[in-house]
Amino acid sequence: MADYLTQIEAAVYDGDEDLVVELVEKALADGVDPEAIIQDGGVAALNRLGDDFNNMIAFLPELMIGGECMKKLIEMCSPHLQGGKSAFKGKIVIGCAKGDLHDIGKSLVATQLSINGYEVVDLGTDVPTNKFIDTAMAEKADIIAVSSLLTTSQYYMEELINRLSHEGKRDLFKVAVGGGPIGPEYAEKIGADGYSRTAALAVKMADRLLDKKPGDPLVSEV
Amino acid sequence: MEKQKKILRTLDRARLGERVTEKEWDQKIVPKTLKEVAKEFGLLGTCDPDNPINCDDELADRFFKAGWEAALRLGFFCPDTESVIKIDADELEREFKKVPGEFVVGQGAEQSHVVARRPEDPRPPIFCAPLSIQMDEELYIPLVEGIVSSRLVDMQEGPSLDTVFGSPLLADSPYETFAGIYEYHMRKEAQWRAGRVGMGNSLVSSASTHFGFLAAFNLYEQPQLCLCLNPASLKINYTTLHKCIVAYELGGVVRSESPTMISGYTGGPETTAIASIATDLLQYPMCGSALPGSPSYDIRYAGNCGRHGVWAQSIATQAITRNSNILQMKTINQVSGPMTEMFFLESIVGMTAASCSGQTFTISPRSAGGSKKNGLTPIECWFNAAVFKGAAGLSRADANRIVKEVIPKFENDLYDPPKGLTFRDLYDIPTLTPCKEYVDMYLKMRKYAEDLGITMPGDGILC
Repeated sequence: MADYLTQIEAAVYDGDEDLVVELVEKALADGVDPEAIIQDGGVAALNRLGDDFNNMIAFLPELMIGGECMKKLIEMCSPHLQGGKSAFKGKIVIGCAKGDLHDIGKSLVATQLSINGYEVVDLGTDVPTNKFIDTAMAEKADIIAVSSLLTTSQYYMEELINRLSHEGKRDLFKVAVGGGPIGPEYAEKIGADGYSRTAALAVKMADRLLDKKPGDPLVSEV
Repeated sequence: MEKQKKILRTLDRARLGERVTEKEWDQKIVPKTLKEVAKEFGLLGTCDPDNPINCDDELADRFFKAGWEAALRLGFFCPDTESVIKIDADELEREFKKVPGEFVVGQGAEQSHVVARRPEDPRPPIFCAPLSIQMDEELYIPLVEGIVSSRLVDMQEGPSLDTVFGSPLLADSPYETFAGIYEYHMRKEAQWRAGRVGMGNSLVSSASTHFGFLAAFNLYEQPQLCLCLNPASLKINYTTLHKCIVAYELGGVVRSESPTMISGYTGGPETTAIASIATDLLQYPMCGSALPGSPSYDIRYAGNCGRHGVWAQSIATQAITRNSNILQMKTINQVSGPMTEMFFLESIVGMTAASCSGQTFTISPRSAGGSKKNGLTPIECWFNAAVFKGAAGLSRADANRIVKEVIPKFENDLYDPPKGLTFRDLYDIPTLTPCKEYVDMYLKMRKYAEDLGITMPGDGILC
């Protein structure tokens, strides 16, 4: 079992998705605990990648590819967990607000969430408000996360929240916002549920958001 | 017409080039190619954070060759067509020889003559202020009047409007079209109040898409700078090409900016510097830009006044300014805000490194990383201009000694910087008078810069 976990850890770290699939299939067939595959294989690899990112040994592409491997690994392990429950903590629809083409901050947040156990649906950049809502409905998401580096795009965050309210969908999703010009004051002003100053803090924010009830104050990670 | 034909060629190539997805480009093609090139030229591991300003000419020249090679292997990605636009070695060589080493912007006595500089060049560079920091619309005119009242500021770019007559300024909407026109009227008023009629402008800062620009560029007497902000290095999009076509028809000059991110898609400081050089080399052949700028920010704190950011930017700038006539423009991204000593320290580091490395032009400041609404006053602009111009002629060795002394004073705070105060907090706006505490801090930090060896020119207002 330890051998499988070491190999899976290495494959996730190297971003070799085909190998991850092959090893996880074999490990599950040989009766390896799916929880151990997730924790000692996937999470361990991503922790190593995270340390390497902080030390400038690994960079965003490696993190993103590692995150995709982790997603695959969790998808494969989930049906084998007790009761067939999902091993994802929650589902997040993320994107840059309309008019904003700067994807790197959003991608870093998406990657951090992905490697920390969230199922992430990344809509990319320049995302119209309705697309956030329609996708979140279709995906049964827990959180809609919107990023904006541009002041001229940040208003679409407010528009999203207003539109959700008008359509009677506000309580279906937690709305998180972030990006260069966005601060907790703005997040609070527009009625967002969560704000995070950095990508690393976004994970903590998302964890707290899942427990947030309607009417609770803004979850702010600064 | 030659430059417009260049745009048409680029558009043709964008339609017919090799198709790849943006994800493949960002996650695989760019990082893999940059790493290969860096290895081939022996550049991996050359970043020296203990000496943030590069003083090694041979290394800068090797980076230039690597940037050239990366430009040929990669080309630009066009997100609108999901295709790669490539040019061959002959064309790059041919276009490289045609790059304009100078241009003028503005009119009459206020005209700015922008000329290519070299490392350690004693000629003062051109300073444009401020970057696009979000301001309440009622603050736009007094703020700009205050900023351009000092002749240390040669040209105007920002700030950005937040609303138009109280309505939200929504990207990619007719609000932006209106904002371009509205900004024109307010600039005119502010520059007139400051006695700076005819000064050059970088346009349009309040509209992220092309709508504001298309609406308003023709209102200005030319030549003016056309501001093209590409989403990232090694990419060019239709928004930029829309703007370029109109700018050339009207007699404007294109300034194109495409940031690279250390630890982002372009990898570490060495590969990021190569991406920056490649991007700057391709701007003229692709869109006729006379003022390219691919600044490098550190993704870990979204600024570039820490060791790796300064190093990557200094080596990339020197590679270009030692080996070409390209007019080099890069921005300095401070993460701390007004009325914090850290802001002045970051500015000393960023501006000194830029000036001694041969930058021709910069736009600054980006106080508080541009994230604090109304977090900008004239004082930060004047201080940055004084350091940028005052550091001209410094040797890189002396400049390196300065930044090595200053960086330790703030580097631990880069990840959680003080955001500072606002224009309203720090100025009596009707009389444009800064509060005493801020003037004292400003004069103290000017004295500190002078003690370090930077000859700080006076701002003509407070000193």
